[in-house]
Amino acid sequence: MGTIVTFDLYDEDEPSESVLSLLREAIDVLHQADDDFSTYKYDSPLSRLRRGDVTMEQCPADVGQVLELCNVAKNITDGWFDPWSLPGGVDPTGYVKGWAAQRSLDVLRRSWIRGALVNAAGDTASFGGPHAGVPFRIGIVDPAATQHLACVVESPGAVATSGTYERGCHLIDPHTGRPASRAASATVTGTDLGLADAFATALAVAGVQALPLIEVLDDFEALIIDYDGTFHTTTGFPAVRTGSKTSS
Amino acid sequence: MKRAHIVIAGTVVGLAGLLSFNSTAVTLSLGSLSAVTAPTRSTTTTTPATTTTSVPHSGGSTPPPTTRVVPTTTATTTTTAAPSAARSATGAATNYSYGILSVKVSVSGTKITNVSIASIDDGGNPRSAYIDQASIPLLEQQAMSAQSASIQGVSGASYTTAGFEQSLQSALSKLGL
Repeated sequence: MGTIVTFDLYDEDEPSESVLSLLREAIDVLHQADDDFSTYKYDSPLSRLRRGDVTMEQCPADVGQVLELCNVAKNITDGWFDPWSLPGGVDPTGYVKGWAAQRSLDVLRRSWIRGALVNAAGDTASFGGPHAGVPFRIGIVDPAATQHLACVVESPGAVATSGTYERGCHLIDPHTGRPASRAASATVTGTDLGLADAFATALAVAGVQALPLIEVLDDFEALIIDYDGTFHTTTGFPAVRTGSKTSS
Repeated sequence: MKRAHIVIAGTVVGLAGLLSFNSTAVTLSLGSLSAVTAPTRSTTTTTPATTTTSVPHSGGSTPPPTTRVVPTTTATTTTTAAPSAARSATGAATNYSYGILSVKVSVSGTKITNVSIASIDDGGNPRSAYIDQASIPLLEQQAMSAQSASIQGVSGASYTTAGFEQSLQSALSKLGL
């Protein structure tokens, strides 16, 4: 699957060679994640694990770590996010994209620039902001009119959105093994993009019934948009404005 | 405030970078970059390319210089004057998941002023037509996001993009960016 990742770097000055060097390192993190976890690459460690060609112990340490974190996400979401329930064998893709973007952002953190924003095909991880003391603002796509924004949030570090409006119904209900999506769109904000990504996937499948699972978490907030356009949020959801359609 | 904007496309990521600044444009060729870091990358990384551009600058300024950074094994840096005329080019028709598309890009100097789909053939499949309808505007918007002032990013359901990005790069290459 092709995906665009963008990096936005904010600072007083144009990036120094040392910043660019960190940027290259950040990009390497993404390449490495792709090499390790792509289900489209026949020889990736994950593909080999899925076929049973190798054991977990023979895979790079990151594979075991990611699957462990997937298990954490599975437990928190009461099984609504479950990479082990997908057809074709374990597929942590719903976690890996965010996890890799978060890791690549963490490389840039070492640069001491004012702010950086990594956007992995619609899921964002950031630190700092565009100006001193100002957080990044992220527009949430309106699932019913994708050229518009449903709302704008102040990023607490990670913003992930899941829905079927882009790629058709690709989400699988882990409890039935069948395609299902009970929300038009689910957005999760928080401190870690891997988990936010997994939680957003879970909410998109489960719909509003799973919102309490996020409500109890200190570091994460969520917005669910129903097919009829109704908004449901956790109490601390960092919306700047909601409800009206805002031109993007 | 300077802002660098980089776009990477590929399998999870990959082919090329797009960097832009308020006052300076930097080209980061991730094609060469991945050649450095992963010399055996597959054929999907055949598009080197890249480019870009200045973000709009309130107050206006003279056309920015372009700094081209080519991170091959030994990185080299050259500086060239940026062309300032408004120009456009259409990228090569490129296969994507559901058909063939080509991307048209317009620039003024080194600033991207518009990105649009020049042609698309999805074979008339209603599902792919639906997906195109939903995702293409978002891709155009993503490519233009450097020019939005009130927000810094957009979060939405993920989309597939390899064809779009390749054709965009091909269009930018035609413009010498």
